[in-house]
Amino acid sequence: MRTHSRATAWFLASPWVVAFALFGLYPFVFSLGASFTNYTPLAPDATRFVGLANYARALHDPAFWSALRNTALFVLGTIPFTTAASLGLALAVQPAFRGRTLFRVGFFLPSVVSIVVLSLVFKGLYASNGGLNSVLALMHLPTPAWLQDPRTALPGIMAMDVWAASGYYMIIFLAGLEGIPRDLYDAARLDGAGGWARFTHITLPLLRPTLLFVLVVNTIRSLQIFAEVFVMTRGGPLGSTTTVVYHLYEQAFSRFQLGEASAIAYLLFLLSLGLAWVQMKAVGAQEESRG
Amino acid sequence: MSEVREEELVPPPPAWGMSARRWLWLAPLLAAMLLPFLWMVALSVSPQAGNSFTKALEGPWDFSQYRTLFETGKMGRYLLNSLGVAIIVVVLNVVTAAMVGYVLGRKRVPGERFWTMGIVATLMVPKQTLMIPLYLVLARLHLLDSYAALILPFAVDAFGIFLVRQYVTQLPIELEEAARVDGATDWQIFREVALPLLKPVLAVVAIQAFLTNWNSFLFPLIFVDSDHLRTLPVGLALMSQTEHSVDWGFLMAGSTVASLPVLVVFVAFQRQILSGLLAGAEK
Amino acid sequence: MKRIALALVLLLAMGACAPAKKVQEVVFWQFWPLEVIQPLVTAFEAENPGIHVRVEQLTWDGGKDKITASVAAGNPPDLCELGSTYMPRFLDSGALSDWSAGVADLRPGLRGWEQCMVGDAIYGLPWVLGTRALFYNKALFARAGLDSTHGPVTWAELETAAARIQKLGGGVHGYGVSLNDKQKLFKKFMPYAWGNGGEILSAGLDSARFDSPENVAALEFYLRLRKVGTLGMQDALDQEFKEGRLGMQISGAWLFKQIPKEAPHLKYGVALVPQPAADRGTHASFAGGEVLVSFQASKRKEDALRLARFLVRPDNALALAIAAQSVQPATVSADTAAYYRERPMQQVLIQQFATARFTPNHAAWDEMEQAIESEVEQALYDKKSAAQAVTDANARIAGLLGKK
Repeated sequence: MRTHSRATAWFLASPWVVAFALFGLYPFVFSLGASFTNYTPLAPDATRFVGLANYARALHDPAFWSALRNTALFVLGTIPFTTAASLGLALAVQPAFRGRTLFRVGFFLPSVVSIVVLSLVFKGLYASNGGLNSVLALMHLPTPAWLQDPRTALPGIMAMDVWAASGYYMIIFLAGLEGIPRDLYDAARLDGAGGWARFTHITLPLLRPTLLFVLVVNTIRSLQIFAEVFVMTRGGPLGSTTTVVYHLYEQAFSRFQLGEASAIAYLLFLLSLGLAWVQMKAVGAQEESRG
Repeated sequence: MSEVREEELVPPPPAWGMSARRWLWLAPLLAAMLLPFLWMVALSVSPQAGNSFTKALEGPWDFSQYRTLFETGKMGRYLLNSLGVAIIVVVLNVVTAAMVGYVLGRKRVPGERFWTMGIVATLMVPKQTLMIPLYLVLARLHLLDSYAALILPFAVDAFGIFLVRQYVTQLPIELEEAARVDGATDWQIFREVALPLLKPVLAVVAIQAFLTNWNSFLFPLIFVDSDHLRTLPVGLALMSQTEHSVDWGFLMAGSTVASLPVLVVFVAFQRQILSGLLAGAEK
Repeated sequence: MKRIALALVLLLAMGACAPAKKVQEVVFWQFWPLEVIQPLVTAFEAENPGIHVRVEQLTWDGGKDKITASVAAGNPPDLCELGSTYMPRFLDSGALSDWSAGVADLRPGLRGWEQCMVGDAIYGLPWVLGTRALFYNKALFARAGLDSTHGPVTWAELETAAARIQKLGGGVHGYGVSLNDKQKLFKKFMPYAWGNGGEILSAGLDSARFDSPENVAALEFYLRLRKVGTLGMQDALDQEFKEGRLGMQISGAWLFKQIPKEAPHLKYGVALVPQPAADRGTHASFAGGEVLVSFQASKRKEDALRLARFLVRPDNALALAIAAQSVQPATVSADTAAYYRERPMQQVLIQQFATARFTPNHAAWDEMEQAIESEVEQALYDKKSAAQAVTDANARIAGLLGKK
């Protein structure tokens, strides 16, 4: 029985394993290998092994550490808010009420538009004489030049990210919430448990896998943000919005030094892996093997 | 298994009072979220406003940008390409995610944790670095400049697999075990017991696969040369970008049009997320 | 049902494999819209029966990545358009085809050879060029009591004009100072440095010459303009100019295309970039352009060269420039063409070419440009004095000399 189910399992997965090997694994291994060479796509025949030189160069570059710091700030400043907001929105639009679909669609809307267009729109919103400042002026509040001031540029991009991502993770939480059997709530209500008790004792624990998913995936994505920075600030002002991937792009990619770019990418990869592992330990602890 | 209609199980919509309360604090939130979208539409009907929202709101509105969009007939082609490719990618993604996610979630392979980590790990490398090797693979397989180049590399997505895997770990296993006792084969268990329970998460996988693929720019740009194979984001960029500036009205009109199919897909699929209501009721 | 769908899908995927490439085609990758380039290509095919050209349009955003990927895979296009900013890296890589013999006869008739040469060897053909000049708002000049028939000629005139316009108030600014808009700030600041006699590298590209009193003076002048103007990125400054709230700024030919559409009532003029003083310096500016190249790995090299030679003919380059509006032909006497004689503002841009400077073709040029821009940015945010910024930039440039 055991071997039968295992064989079936492998069979079910096989075509995908091939596709994954070709289009997922190979590029991954290739760029990992490239990080130990001086590979440049314009002259692939001149590739030479350089050992850890690319990694050393990245780690000795103050610009890399500055980018790392910006990226860390970004992640720490958005993940908690996005997670809380998307969970809150999901809880708000899960029960049946009139117009629920309108709200679901409305909150999801920001995710529908391409990130480049969204960034362009926000760039205009954040302009010195743009929409946001017009509103602030009406309320007699200060109107900084958001994207031109090193102190407000990154927070501005962070706010946009929370705004854009909340609706997206909301639907993931929605699916997770729907997977919780109704009768658990009914039984709890019979036992006299109030709303908050039901949330902490039923919803949260059963939502753990989904919560872990949202945390891990959102962290990975946030560690890699690039498009918003590229469109809105080009990494400025004074390098305050340069993230690791933007740094990678500017330093190595535009100079066609893929070896150097890959080294930076794999340093980021190690960081992502570490963070994901920590998150899995902290949140995913309760994965009893149910198979 | 008889299909129980959802309407028979769900109580009638609540009184307006409760709904009204919800509207009170959700509506302003919604308005704030929609504002930038409103900006986009406003700019699309005010080509003379450049990228100034206030000018767009006041000035005369005309839909000429939308007309221009479809004038050359290319937009229609790009839309069709995007649609065709996205649908196929969604189907492949949903199927892969369901199968592989289920297998991983039920720990059917040795070292499952390791495989899962490995699959998730591929998400951790920025795609700019994967661009060249992917191109090389496609070149060697002679798949460049074809629909296959737009579909195959994206047929298997770690995101969907991971999502389904997580969902499956929290799914009660009793139904499947009961079916096994009844003598069902693995495939039958998967198809008839597990799959219906996976509807909510597969709906999400479908939505997100569609969305990611629909807005995908860099890879379709690099892997496809011929104009007749182009997808929407690339086509739109070609039509609205010049070396030093952006044709705002045109770009916003194109983006608004580009958002519509995703919205349709979302509205259609988000009802599927509701079907989980049945999962508990079956007991 | 699902199984059928699956099978269909797999069939589609396999059937959609790459179409058989026609071997007789010359593959041409370029950045202009097909409506603009197709007529030229069709004319070429008419003149050269038997050669069929397949034109592909690249996006400015990502186009370079696509070209690079194709070179890496060993299947680059036969003829390709490259921007002058891409040239140093491509020249250094050895991936380009040597055209020294094939284009020698065209030397006298075209400008901008610096972009595609290494030593005496030529690796491309200059096709169209772009530069920057001073755009000024005639209505604002008149309101400020200035002579609106011509723009300022010297730095002093520029500063005075900007000050007077700034005083008009009401959201109006005198001069638009560019912030660190990557690869754009350089083009808005260096004209003043070059005009003042400053340099970046020595003629042999082997030593850094950026640390000089001329460059410091230019930067100090640029910083002073902040007091009589406003700061912004290129699109913000362009927008303000189009809305008639900006007196002057250095900008480029794309405005000729945008203004009739977005600000048809704007009264504006174009002047050469002001020089330091009436008796000193030059009306220098930045110059860049688009170059046609072929690759070592290209399959139809002779036909590519033939197509390139066709495209750079005065009539054809002019046709492209007129259609695109944001560039001018690389032809030496382009400003004598009837089209430009009827458009004095565009003629000024072509005249600007005479005193404009191309960027050095050093392999590490991207990083040197980044160094200059980030140091100027530090000065713009008052983190450093002009002198310190120039010295630090020079140190960074010197460090890049031996590098690739």
